[in-house]
Amino acid sequence: MSFSRIRLLVWKEYLQLARDRMLLPLIFIQPLLQLIMFGYVVGSDVTNIPTAIVDQDRTVSSRELSSAIENAGYFTIIERPAEETSLRPLMDGNRVQLALVLPAGFERDLERGDRAAVQLVVDGVDSKTASVASGYATQVIGEWTRSRAEVTGLVPDGPGIDARVRVLFNPTLRSVNAMVPGLVAFILMLSSTALMSQAIVRERERGTLEQMFVTPITRGEYLVGKLAPYVLLATVQVIGVMLVGVYWFRVPFNGNLLVIAAGLALFVFTTLGQGMIISTLARTRHQAQQWTMFLLIPTIVLSGFIFPIESMPEPIVPVTYLIPLRYVLILLRANFMKGSGFEALWPQFAAMAVFAVSIFSAALARFHKRLAD
Amino acid sequence: MPLFRRHRTDEPEPEMAPDASGTPAPAPTEPPPAPAAAVHVRGLTKRFGHFTAVDNIDLDVRRGEIFGFLGPNGSGKTTTIRMLCGVIAPTDGEATVLGFDAVGQAEDIRRSIGYMSQRFSLFEDLTVEENLKFYAGVYGIADERYEQRRAYILEMAGLQGREGELTANLSVGWKQRLALGCATIHEPELLFLDEPTSGVDPTARKRFWELLYDLAESGITLFVTTHYMDEAARCSRVAFIYEGSIVTEGTPDTLRTTLVNDTIFEVTTGDVDAAIEALTASPAIAEAYLSGAALHVNVGTRIDGPEVIASTLTTAGLEALSTRVVTPTLEDVFVHLVNRERASSVPGQ
Repeated sequence: MSFSRIRLLVWKEYLQLARDRMLLPLIFIQPLLQLIMFGYVVGSDVTNIPTAIVDQDRTVSSRELSSAIENAGYFTIIERPAEETSLRPLMDGNRVQLALVLPAGFERDLERGDRAAVQLVVDGVDSKTASVASGYATQVIGEWTRSRAEVTGLVPDGPGIDARVRVLFNPTLRSVNAMVPGLVAFILMLSSTALMSQAIVRERERGTLEQMFVTPITRGEYLVGKLAPYVLLATVQVIGVMLVGVYWFRVPFNGNLLVIAAGLALFVFTTLGQGMIISTLARTRHQAQQWTMFLLIPTIVLSGFIFPIESMPEPIVPVTYLIPLRYVLILLRANFMKGSGFEALWPQFAAMAVFAVSIFSAALARFHKRLAD
Repeated sequence: MPLFRRHRTDEPEPEMAPDASGTPAPAPTEPPPAPAAAVHVRGLTKRFGHFTAVDNIDLDVRRGEIFGFLGPNGSGKTTTIRMLCGVIAPTDGEATVLGFDAVGQAEDIRRSIGYMSQRFSLFEDLTVEENLKFYAGVYGIADERYEQRRAYILEMAGLQGREGELTANLSVGWKQRLALGCATIHEPELLFLDEPTSGVDPTARKRFWELLYDLAESGITLFVTTHYMDEAARCSRVAFIYEGSIVTEGTPDTLRTTLVNDTIFEVTTGDVDAAIEALTASPAIAEAYLSGAALHVNVGTRIDGPEVIASTLTTAGLEALSTRVVTPTLEDVFVHLVNRERASSVPGQ
C-alpha cells in the first residue's frame, strides 16, 4: 500500500465528483430536500382534525370532556349534532374524520364507578390520520379521566373510558423525531451504495479501470482510494442532516455520539459492500442505477423507515430481519430519543456486525474475481 | 505448422525487402550480452470456463522492435496482453516480460511497461494537465523529471497552451496522443498498444504511427495489436492470432510471399454477396471474399483465372464489371491462412 498513490486516487476522485454536474445536486440538494420533505410533509403531525361531538348526556361531565377534546389542540369541532344518526352523512361528505359520542347516562355511570362507555367513530379511509386521530382522542380521554379521578377520588374500573395509552419519549408523537434518525441512515446508504457503484461502473465503462491495473496501482490501493472519498462524503452528509434535525427541527437529542458513530461505521461497510457488489453486476451506469433501485425499494418499505414494522402483516415480518437498515434504524432512534447504549442495543450491533462482515467480504471476493476474469 | 515460426537473433535482419529500405540490410553487429527478451512466451493458455480464449501460444518479441499482434476481434489479442501485464493469471504456460515472470513478478512488470488501449483510458473529466499529473504520480515521477516529461508530451501531442482544457473536449486525435503521452510518461521499456488507432481518421493514424516510430527509435519496444492491414505492414515483425492460436508469424514481407504462387484478382460486380456465394461454391476457385468494396478472388495457380471467374459469374446470372490482377496484401495472406486453419479443423480433411 502506497499512501501517495492512495492520496492521488482520492484527489482524482474528488476532482471528478466536484465536476460532475449531475451528481453535485444529488449530493447536497437531495439530503436537504429529503429533510424538508420528510420533516414537513410526511412527518407533519395531524392537527385540526375535523371533529363532531354528539353529546346525548348534556351533563357537567360530558361538557367537560367535550371541551377537553376541543382544547387538546388536535381537533376542530365542526358540528355538534344531537343524534348519532346524523354522523354518517357528515363522514360521507368528508366533513368530519372523527366523532365522539357521549351517550345518555355517561355522568351517572361515571359517578357510580361503573364502566362509562364513550364511542369514538373514526373515518378509516385515511388510515394514518385515523390511527393518529383515535390515538390522540384516547389519550385526551384518558388524561381527563385521570385528572377527574384525582379530583373526585373515584376510580373507574371500566376500560371504556380509562384508555391506558401512554406515549413515552415522543409524547407529542412528532414523526419528525423518528424521521431524522432514519434519514441519517438512509442518506448514508444512498451516498455509499448508489454514488460509489456509479463511480466504479463509470470507470469501467470508460476503460480507466482496466488502465489502473496495468499501472503500479494495486487493487487494495484502488479500493481504499475509491471508498475513502465516499465515506468522507457520507460523513459530511450525516453530520449535516443531524445538525439540521437537531437545530432546525428541534429533534431532541438524548443520545451518545460514540454509539451512533459505531453503528454507522458498521452500517457503512454494509452499504459500501452493496455498492461494490452492484458495480460488479452492472455493465453500465444505467444498470447500476436499476440495481440500486432494486435494493432500495424493499429497504424503504421493509426497514421500518416509513412504515412501522409492527403494522406489517405477520408473514412479512421475518423478511424484515434481512434488511440491514432495520437494525441501524432501531439503534439510531433508540439512541437519539432514549439514549440507549451498547448494553441495550447489543443485538442490533451484533446483527449489523454480521451484515458488515459478510457483505463486505463477499464484495471484496466478487470484486477480485471480476477483475481476474 | 506455420511457415515462419522462429526468428533467432543470429539471423541478420532477415528478409527485409530491399525496396522497402532502399539500401541493403545493415551488416550484423556483434550481438551484445543479450538482455532478457522483451516478451518470451511458451505454451500460454487461458480458458474461461469451457471457452479457450488463448490456446497454447508461443511468442518472442525482441527488444527494440515493433511487434504487430494481429487478428480479428475476439481472437485472443487483448486476453494475451492482459496476461502479459499480469492483470489476469494464465491457465497454463509461462510468460516473461522484460525478464520478469508475468505471474510472480507482475508488479515489476507494471512498473516498467506502458499500456494504451483503444479506449484511450483518460479521465475525461480531468484536464490535460491533471491527467499527466495523475499518471506521473502513479509512477512516482519526481517533480523535476515531471516538468521535462510534461513539456515533451505536450509538444508531442500538440497540446501546448491547452493544459487546462478538459480532456472530454479534445477531439479524438488529441486524446489519442495524450493517451500515448500518459502511457509513456515514465519512459517504459516496453509499450503495449491495444488497437490504439481504432476510430481515428487516416490522417491522425498516420501521424500517430510517426510518433510510434519515434518511440521505437528511442529504443522502446512496441507491442501493437491492430486489425488494420496497412498498419501491420508498418511493423518490423507480425504474428497473426486466430481463435486463440498463432497462425503465422514473420516479417510483413516474408508473409506476403506465402501467396507467391497464387494469383489474386480484384473483381467488381453488382451483387457482391451473390457473387461470393457463387465463386466460393466453384471448385476451380480457392477463395473469394470482400476486400473494401470489391471482391478478392484467389484462383490458386490457375492461369485461366479471368475466364473461370467470368463463366462462374455468368452461370449465376451475374456479371464481372472489372477483373484485374493485384499484388497480394497481408489481408489476402491472413484470409488464406484463416481458411486453411478452418479447413484443417474440419474433421476428415
